[in-house]
Amino acid sequence: MVKLIEKQVVSKKEFDMILITDEGKKAVEESGITNGMVAVITKHTTTSIMVNESLPCVEKDIQATLERLVPTHGDYVHTHMLPTYGTCSGNAPGHLKSMLGGNHCIFPVIDGKMYCGGAQDIYFVELDGLQIRKYMIEIMGE
Amino acid sequence: MVIDVHAHPLLFDVINEDPNTFEFRRQAFGVFKSGINPVEFEKILLDDAEIDKVVLLPEDYSTQMERPIVSNEEMTKIVAAMPDRFIGFAGVDPRREDAQEVLKKAFGEQHLAGLKLNLSRLHMFPTDERLLPLYEICEKAGKPIMFHAGYSWEPDTPAKYSQPILFEDVACDFPELRFCLAHMGFPWWNETIMMLMKYPNVYADTSMVYMDSPRHFYKQMFTVNMNLNWLQNCFWDKVMFGSNNPRFRHVRSLDGIKNLPLREDVMEAVLGGNALRFLGMEEK
Repeated sequence: MVKLIEKQVVSKKEFDMILITDEGKKAVEESGITNGMVAVITKHTTTSIMVNESLPCVEKDIQATLERLVPTHGDYVHTHMLPTYGTCSGNAPGHLKSMLGGNHCIFPVIDGKMYCGGAQDIYFVELDGLQIRKYMIEIMGE
Repeated sequence: MVIDVHAHPLLFDVINEDPNTFEFRRQAFGVFKSGINPVEFEKILLDDAEIDKVVLLPEDYSTQMERPIVSNEEMTKIVAAMPDRFIGFAGVDPRREDAQEVLKKAFGEQHLAGLKLNLSRLHMFPTDERLLPLYEICEKAGKPIMFHAGYSWEPDTPAKYSQPILFEDVACDFPELRFCLAHMGFPWWNETIMMLMKYPNVYADTSMVYMDSPRHFYKQMFTVNMNLNWLQNCFWDKVMFGSNNPRFRHVRSLDGIKNLPLREDVMEAVLGGNALRFLGMEEK
Protein backbone atom coordinates (compact mmCIF):
# COMPACT_ATOMS: atom_id res chain seq x y z
CA MET A 1 0.00 0.00 0.00
CA VAL A 2 1.16 3.55 -0.73
CA LYS A 3 -0.27 6.72 0.89
CA LEU A 4 0.70 10.23 -0.14
CA ILE A 5 -0.11 13.32 1.91
CA GLU A 6 0.65 16.91 0.91
CA LYS A 7 1.27 19.51 3.64
CA GLN A 8 1.73 23.29 3.58
CA VAL A 9 3.99 25.49 5.69
CA VAL A 10 4.49 29.25 5.70
CA SER A 11 8.04 30.39 6.32
CA LYS A 12 8.39 33.54 8.41
CA LYS A 13 12.07 34.28 7.78
CA GLU A 14 14.56 34.23 4.89
CA PHE A 15 16.20 31.21 6.59
CA ASP A 16 13.68 29.25 8.63
CA MET A 17 14.01 25.81 10.20
CA ILE A 18 10.48 24.52 10.74
CA LEU A 19 10.04 21.35 12.79
CA ILE A 20 7.75 18.84 11.08
CA THR A 21 8.60 15.65 13.00
CA ASP A 22 5.12 15.39 14.51
CA GLU A 23 3.50 15.71 11.07
CA GLY A 24 5.56 12.73 9.87
CA LYS A 25 4.72 10.62 12.90
CA LYS A 26 1.03 11.47 12.72
CA ALA A 27 0.86 10.68 8.99
CA VAL A 28 2.35 7.24 9.64
CA GLU A 29 0.00 6.47 12.53
CA GLU A 30 -3.05 7.49 10.51
CA SER A 31 -1.98 5.63 7.36
CA GLY A 32 -2.94 2.17 8.46
CA ILE A 33 0.46 0.93 7.31
CA THR A 34 2.28 -1.04 10.00
CA ASN A 35 5.55 -2.01 8.33
CA GLY A 36 7.44 -0.22 5.57
CA MET A 37 9.06 3.15 4.95
CA VAL A 38 8.08 6.80 5.23
CA ALA A 39 9.64 9.50 3.05
CA VAL A 40 9.32 13.25 3.63
CA ILE A 41 10.04 15.17 0.41
CA THR A 42 10.01 18.89 -0.36
CA LYS A 43 8.27 20.15 -3.52
CA HIS A 44 10.74 23.00 -4.05
CA THR A 45 14.29 23.66 -5.21
CA THR A 46 15.19 26.36 -2.67
CA THR A 47 14.21 24.42 0.46
CA SER A 48 15.54 21.32 2.18
CA ILE A 49 14.35 18.47 4.35
CA MET A 50 16.95 17.94 7.06
CA VAL A 51 17.26 15.53 9.98
CA ASN A 52 19.13 16.81 12.99
CA GLU A 53 18.97 17.43 16.71
CA SER A 54 16.51 20.14 17.59
CA LEU A 55 18.78 22.40 19.61
CA PRO A 56 19.01 26.18 19.05
CA CYS A 57 22.83 26.00 19.04
CA VAL A 58 22.84 23.32 16.33
CA GLU A 59 20.33 25.31 14.28
CA LYS A 60 22.58 28.39 14.50
CA ASP A 61 25.60 26.34 13.40
CA ILE A 62 23.67 24.93 10.44
CA GLN A 63 22.61 28.42 9.34
CA ALA A 64 26.08 29.92 9.83
CA THR A 65 27.82 27.08 8.00
CA LEU A 66 25.46 27.23 5.02
CA GLU A 67 25.95 31.00 4.87
CA ARG A 68 29.75 30.60 5.02
CA LEU A 69 29.68 28.07 2.18
CA VAL A 70 27.11 29.96 0.09
CA PRO A 71 27.12 33.68 0.95
CA THR A 72 23.82 35.49 0.39
CA HIS A 73 25.52 38.38 -1.39
CA GLY A 74 28.03 36.47 -3.50
CA ASP A 75 28.41 36.63 -7.27
CA TYR A 76 26.08 34.18 -8.98
CA VAL A 77 25.01 33.47 -12.57
CA HIS A 78 21.38 32.86 -11.59
CA THR A 79 20.69 36.53 -10.87
CA HIS A 80 18.82 38.07 -13.79
CA MET A 81 15.35 38.32 -15.28
CA LEU A 82 14.00 34.96 -16.42
CA PRO A 83 11.88 35.50 -19.54
CA THR A 84 9.95 32.27 -19.02
CA TYR A 85 8.95 33.46 -15.53
CA GLY A 86 8.69 37.22 -15.99
CA THR A 87 10.33 37.55 -12.60
CA CYS A 88 13.89 37.92 -11.34
CA SER A 89 16.03 34.92 -10.42
CA GLY A 90 17.57 36.43 -7.32
CA ASN A 91 17.71 33.22 -5.32
CA ALA A 92 20.88 31.39 -6.35
CA PRO A 93 21.99 30.99 -2.69
CA GLY A 94 18.72 29.18 -1.93
CA HIS A 95 19.26 26.75 -4.79
CA LEU A 96 22.82 25.98 -3.71
CA LYS A 97 22.01 25.63 -0.01
CA SER A 98 19.12 23.36 -0.97
CA MET A 99 21.56 21.09 -2.79
CA LEU A 100 23.68 20.82 0.36
CA GLY A 101 20.71 20.05 2.57
CA GLY A 102 18.97 17.57 0.29
CA ASN A 103 15.35 17.30 -0.70
CA HIS A 104 14.10 14.41 1.48
CA CYS A 105 14.55 12.06 4.42
CA ILE A 106 13.47 8.45 4.97
CA PHE A 107 12.64 6.45 8.12
CA PRO A 108 11.46 2.91 8.71
CA VAL A 109 7.86 2.25 9.73
CA ILE A 110 7.62 -0.49 12.35
CA ASP A 111 4.46 -1.55 14.18
CA GLY A 112 2.57 1.44 12.76
CA LYS A 113 5.03 4.05 13.98
CA MET A 114 7.87 6.08 12.46
CA TYR A 115 11.05 4.50 13.83
CA CYS A 116 13.82 7.02 14.58
CA GLY A 117 16.54 7.85 17.06
CA GLY A 118 15.85 9.94 20.14
CA ALA A 119 17.83 12.96 18.88
CA GLN A 120 16.42 12.87 15.38
CA ASP A 121 13.98 15.56 14.35
CA ILE A 122 12.76 16.43 10.86
CA TYR A 123 13.02 20.00 9.64
CA PHE A 124 11.46 21.70 6.63
CA VAL A 125 14.21 24.26 5.94
CA GLU A 126 13.35 27.48 4.12
CA LEU A 127 16.35 28.85 2.24
CA ASP A 128 14.59 31.49 0.15
CA GLY A 129 11.90 32.92 2.39
CA LEU A 130 9.41 34.17 3.08
CA GLN A 131 7.13 31.89 1.08
CA ILE A 132 4.13 29.57 1.17
CA ARG A 133 5.61 26.08 0.74
CA LYS A 134 4.54 22.46 0.29
CA TYR A 135 6.05 19.09 1.11
CA MET A 136 4.95 15.50 0.70
CA ILE A 137 4.82 12.59 3.13
CA GLU A 138 4.68 9.22 1.41
CA ILE A 139 4.20 6.02 3.40
CA MET A 140 4.90 2.72 1.63
CA GLY A 141 4.36 -0.73 3.12
CA GLU A 142 1.74 -3.18 4.32
CA MET B 1 8.03 55.81 6.79
CA VAL B 2 8.99 53.40 4.00
CA ILE B 3 6.81 53.43 0.87
CA ASP B 4 7.24 51.12 -2.11
CA VAL B 5 5.78 53.22 -4.96
CA HIS B 6 5.91 50.55 -7.65
CA ALA B 7 4.07 47.25 -7.26
CA HIS B 8 1.54 45.37 -9.34
CA PRO B 9 -1.68 43.98 -7.85
CA LEU B 10 -2.58 41.19 -10.27
CA LEU B 11 -1.71 38.20 -8.06
CA PHE B 12 -3.77 38.98 -4.95
CA ASP B 13 -6.21 36.32 -3.85
CA VAL B 14 -9.15 38.67 -3.31
CA ILE B 15 -9.55 39.25 -7.07
CA ASN B 16 -8.53 35.81 -8.32
CA GLU B 17 -11.29 33.45 -7.32
CA ASP B 18 -11.68 32.44 -10.99
CA PRO B 19 -8.67 30.42 -12.29
CA ASN B 20 -9.31 31.54 -15.89
CA THR B 21 -9.12 35.22 -14.92
CA PHE B 22 -5.95 34.55 -12.96
CA GLU B 23 -4.34 32.87 -15.97
CA PHE B 24 -5.44 35.76 -18.22
CA ARG B 25 -3.74 38.20 -15.85
CA ARG B 26 -0.51 36.23 -15.75
CA GLN B 27 -0.30 36.02 -19.53
CA ALA B 28 -1.36 39.64 -20.12
CA PHE B 29 1.13 41.04 -17.64
CA GLY B 30 3.89 38.54 -18.35
CA VAL B 31 4.46 36.82 -15.00
CA PHE B 32 4.00 33.32 -16.27
CA LYS B 33 4.77 31.11 -13.26
CA SER B 34 3.82 33.25 -10.28
CA GLY B 35 1.22 31.90 -7.87
CA ILE B 36 -1.67 33.61 -6.14
CA ASN B 37 -0.54 35.89 -3.33
CA PRO B 38 -2.94 35.99 -0.35
CA VAL B 39 -3.31 39.51 1.04
CA GLU B 40 -2.71 38.08 4.52
CA PHE B 41 0.67 36.77 3.34
CA GLU B 42 1.48 40.11 1.71
CA LYS B 43 1.09 41.68 5.16
CA ILE B 44 3.64 39.20 6.51
CA LEU B 45 6.02 40.10 3.67
CA LEU B 46 5.62 43.84 4.24
CA ASP B 47 6.06 43.48 8.00
CA ASP B 48 9.21 41.43 7.47
CA ALA B 49 10.60 44.00 5.02
CA GLU B 50 9.55 46.87 7.33
CA ILE B 51 7.65 48.55 4.50
CA ASP B 52 4.78 50.72 5.70
CA LYS B 53 2.84 51.27 2.48
CA VAL B 54 2.77 49.99 -1.11
CA VAL B 55 1.47 51.78 -4.20
CA LEU B 56 -0.42 49.32 -6.41
CA LEU B 57 -0.61 50.00 -10.13
CA PRO B 58 -3.46 48.39 -12.10
CA GLU B 59 -3.49 48.42 -15.90
CA ASP B 60 -6.33 48.66 -18.42
CA TYR B 61 -5.96 47.72 -22.09
CA SER B 62 -9.56 46.65 -22.42
CA THR B 63 -10.02 47.97 -25.97
CA GLN B 64 -7.66 45.23 -27.16
CA MET B 65 -8.30 42.58 -24.48
CA GLU B 66 -11.35 40.95 -23.00
CA ARG B 67 -11.04 43.03 -19.80
CA PRO B 68 -8.61 45.21 -17.80
CA ILE B 69 -5.72 43.29 -16.29
CA VAL B 70 -6.99 44.68 -12.98
CA SER B 71 -10.05 46.95 -13.07
CA ASN B 72 -10.58 49.96 -10.84
CA GLU B 73 -13.43 48.13 -9.10
CA GLU B 74 -11.04 45.28 -8.33
CA MET B 75 -8.43 47.79 -7.18
CA THR B 76 -10.84 49.17 -4.58
CA LYS B 77 -11.49 45.62 -3.39
CA ILE B 78 -7.76 45.02 -2.93
CA VAL B 79 -7.28 48.30 -1.07
CA ALA B 80 -10.22 47.47 1.20
CA ALA B 81 -8.46 44.26 2.21
CA MET B 82 -5.56 46.21 3.77
CA PRO B 83 -6.40 49.92 3.68
CA ASP B 84 -3.66 50.98 6.07
CA ARG B 85 -0.93 49.48 3.82
CA PHE B 86 -2.24 49.62 0.24
CA ILE B 87 -2.42 52.78 -1.87
CA GLY B 88 -4.42 52.02 -5.01
CA PHE B 89 -3.94 53.80 -8.32
CA ALA B 90 -6.39 53.74 -11.22
CA GLY B 91 -5.92 52.22 -14.65
CA VAL B 92 -7.71 53.63 -17.69
CA ASP B 93 -7.36 52.63 -21.33
CA PRO B 94 -7.23 56.06 -23.07
CA ARG B 95 -8.76 54.48 -26.18
CA ARG B 96 -12.03 53.83 -24.34
CA GLU B 97 -14.79 56.24 -25.32
CA ASP B 98 -15.63 56.62 -21.64
CA ALA B 99 -12.02 57.05 -20.51
CA GLN B 100 -12.58 60.46 -18.90
CA GLU B 101 -15.67 59.29 -17.02
CA VAL B 102 -13.84 56.19 -15.81
CA LEU B 103 -10.99 58.31 -14.48
CA LYS B 104 -13.28 60.85 -12.81
CA LYS B 105 -15.14 58.00 -11.12
CA ALA B 106 -11.84 56.45 -10.00
CA PHE B 107 -10.87 59.66 -8.22
CA GLY B 108 -14.29 60.94 -7.14
CA GLU B 109 -16.11 57.77 -6.12
CA GLN B 110 -13.51 55.04 -5.81
CA HIS B 111 -10.99 57.27 -4.02
CA LEU B 112 -8.02 55.96 -5.97
CA ALA B 113 -4.80 57.89 -5.47
CA GLY B 114 -3.38 58.39 -8.96
CA LEU B 115 -3.21 57.04 -12.51
CA LYS B 116 -0.91 54.37 -13.98
CA LEU B 117 -0.11 54.51 -17.71
CA ASN B 118 2.25 52.33 -19.72
CA LEU B 119 2.46 54.15 -23.05
CA SER B 120 4.69 51.46 -24.53
CA ARG B 121 1.86 48.97 -24.06
CA LEU B 122 -0.62 51.47 -25.50
CA HIS B 123 1.66 52.36 -28.44
CA MET B 124 1.05 56.04 -27.71
CA PHE B 125 3.57 58.85 -27.44
CA PRO B 126 3.17 61.10 -24.36
CA THR B 127 1.68 63.94 -26.42
CA ASP B 128 -1.02 61.77 -28.01
CA GLU B 129 -4.24 63.80 -28.07
CA ARG B 130 -6.20 61.00 -26.41
CA LEU B 131 -4.03 61.39 -23.33
CA LEU B 132 -4.34 65.13 -22.84
CA PRO B 133 -7.83 65.13 -21.23
CA LEU B 134 -6.61 62.51 -18.74
CA TYR B 135 -3.63 64.70 -17.84
CA GLU B 136 -6.02 67.62 -17.29
CA ILE B 137 -8.21 65.55 -14.97
CA CYS B 138 -5.20 64.44 -12.93
CA GLU B 139 -3.75 67.94 -12.74
CA LYS B 140 -7.07 69.42 -11.67
CA ALA B 141 -7.66 66.70 -9.06
CA GLY B 142 -4.10 66.92 -7.73
CA LYS B 143 -3.54 63.22 -8.50
CA PRO B 144 -0.14 62.00 -9.74
CA ILE B 145 0.56 59.82 -12.77
CA MET B 146 2.94 56.88 -12.72
CA PHE B 147 4.28 56.58 -16.26
CA HIS B 148 6.16 53.52 -17.27
CA ALA B 149 9.46 54.85 -18.71
CA GLY B 150 12.13 52.99 -20.68
CA TYR B 151 12.49 49.21 -20.72
CA SER B 152 9.26 47.30 -19.99
CA TRP B 153 9.09 43.59 -19.16
CA GLU B 154 5.48 43.43 -20.35
CA PRO B 155 4.64 41.84 -23.74
CA ASP B 156 4.36 44.09 -26.83
CA THR B 157 5.96 47.20 -25.32
CA PRO B 158 8.23 49.12 -27.75
CA ALA B 159 10.45 51.36 -25.62
CA LYS B 160 10.33 54.22 -28.14
CA TYR B 161 6.97 55.35 -26.73
CA SER B 162 8.37 55.74 -23.23
CA GLN B 163 11.70 57.47 -23.68
CA PRO B 164 12.04 59.98 -20.81
CA ILE B 165 12.79 63.01 -22.97
CA LEU B 166 9.44 62.58 -24.73
CA PHE B 167 7.70 63.48 -21.46
CA GLU B 168 9.22 66.96 -21.45
CA ASP B 169 6.25 68.42 -23.33
CA VAL B 170 3.93 67.01 -20.66
CA ALA B 171 6.00 68.67 -17.93
CA CYS B 172 5.88 71.99 -19.84
CA ASP B 173 2.19 71.89 -20.77
CA PHE B 174 0.97 70.58 -17.38
CA PRO B 175 3.31 72.27 -14.90
CA GLU B 176 1.20 71.43 -11.83
CA LEU B 177 0.88 67.75 -12.76
CA ARG B 178 3.07 65.49 -10.62
CA PHE B 179 4.33 62.50 -12.56
CA CYS B 180 6.90 59.77 -12.09
CA LEU B 181 9.17 58.33 -14.75
CA ALA B 182 9.29 54.77 -13.47
CA HIS B 183 12.38 52.59 -13.61
CA MET B 184 14.53 55.78 -13.83
CA GLY B 185 13.69 55.51 -17.53
CA PHE B 186 16.36 52.83 -17.93
CA PRO B 187 18.40 52.72 -20.14
CA TRP B 188 17.91 56.49 -20.62
CA TRP B 189 18.64 57.30 -16.95
CA ASN B 190 20.66 60.37 -18.00
CA GLU B 191 17.57 61.87 -19.68
CA THR B 192 15.59 61.11 -16.55
CA ILE B 193 18.14 62.99 -14.44
CA MET B 194 17.68 66.06 -16.61
CA MET B 195 13.90 65.85 -16.20
CA LEU B 196 14.22 65.51 -12.41
CA MET B 197 16.52 68.50 -12.13
CA LYS B 198 14.65 70.77 -14.51
CA TYR B 199 10.98 70.15 -13.69
CA PRO B 200 9.77 70.50 -10.09
CA ASN B 201 6.91 68.01 -10.39
CA VAL B 202 8.77 65.22 -12.17
CA TYR B 203 9.87 62.23 -10.07
CA ALA B 204 11.49 58.85 -10.75
CA ASP B 205 11.52 55.50 -8.99
CA THR B 206 14.14 52.82 -8.39
CA SER B 207 12.28 49.87 -9.93
CA MET B 208 15.09 49.38 -12.43
CA VAL B 209 16.98 46.21 -11.57
CA TYR B 210 17.26 45.01 -15.15
CA MET B 211 20.21 42.71 -14.48
CA ASP B 212 22.25 41.40 -11.58
CA SER B 213 21.09 41.57 -7.95
CA PRO B 214 19.55 44.72 -6.44
CA ARG B 215 22.66 45.31 -4.31
CA HIS B 216 25.01 45.03 -7.26
CA PHE B 217 22.83 46.90 -9.74
CA TYR B 218 22.03 49.88 -7.52
CA LYS B 219 25.68 50.17 -6.54
CA GLN B 220 26.69 50.15 -10.21
CA MET B 221 23.98 52.63 -11.21
CA PHE B 222 24.26 55.18 -8.41
CA THR B 223 27.97 55.02 -7.61
CA VAL B 224 29.64 54.06 -10.91
CA ASN B 225 27.34 55.13 -13.76
CA MET B 226 26.54 58.22 -11.68
CA ASN B 227 28.51 59.95 -9.01
CA LEU B 228 26.64 59.26 -5.76
CA ASN B 229 26.63 62.97 -5.00
CA TRP B 230 24.52 63.60 -8.09
CA LEU B 231 21.71 61.80 -6.29
CA GLN B 232 22.62 63.15 -2.86
CA ASN B 233 22.98 66.80 -3.89
CA CYS B 234 21.05 67.34 -7.11
CA PHE B 235 17.91 65.17 -7.20
CA TRP B 236 17.73 63.64 -3.72
CA ASP B 237 14.17 64.98 -3.38
CA LYS B 238 12.92 63.32 -6.60
CA VAL B 239 13.89 59.63 -6.47
CA MET B 240 11.51 57.20 -4.75
CA PHE B 241 11.98 53.60 -3.69
CA GLY B 242 10.08 51.20 -5.95
CA SER B 243 10.48 47.42 -6.14
CA ASN B 244 8.52 46.36 -9.24
CA ASN B 245 7.01 43.57 -7.18
CA PRO B 246 6.12 40.79 -8.10
CA ARG B 247 8.93 40.78 -10.66
CA PHE B 248 11.25 41.50 -7.72
CA ARG B 249 10.64 40.96 -4.05
CA HIS B 250 10.00 44.06 -1.99
CA VAL B 251 12.57 43.08 0.60
CA ARG B 252 15.42 42.42 -1.81
CA SER B 253 14.98 45.66 -3.73
CA LEU B 254 14.81 47.53 -0.44
CA ASP B 255 18.00 45.83 0.75
CA GLY B 256 19.75 47.07 -2.39
CA ILE B 257 18.75 50.68 -1.67
CA LYS B 258 19.57 50.45 2.04
CA ASN B 259 23.01 49.13 1.14
CA LEU B 260 23.88 52.36 -0.70
CA PRO B 261 26.16 54.66 1.34
CA LEU B 262 23.63 57.52 1.35
CA ARG B 263 23.40 60.37 3.85
CA GLU B 264 20.67 59.75 6.41
CA ASP B 265 18.45 62.58 5.15
CA VAL B 266 18.73 61.34 1.57
CA MET B 267 17.95 57.75 2.56
CA GLU B 268 14.82 58.91 4.41
CA ALA B 269 13.73 60.94 1.40
CA VAL B 270 14.26 58.09 -1.08
CA LEU B 271 12.59 55.48 1.12
CA GLY B 272 9.45 57.45 1.86
CA GLY B 273 9.64 61.22 2.18
CA ASN B 274 9.63 61.88 -1.55
CA ALA B 275 6.76 59.46 -2.06
CA LEU B 276 4.63 61.32 0.49
CA ARG B 277 5.09 64.53 -1.53
CA PHE B 278 4.50 62.76 -4.87
CA LEU B 279 1.31 61.18 -3.57
CA GLY B 280 0.04 64.42 -2.06
CA MET B 281 0.16 62.88 1.42
CA GLU B 282 2.78 65.20 2.87
CA GLU B 283 1.70 67.09 5.97
CA LYS B 284 1.68 70.82 5.24
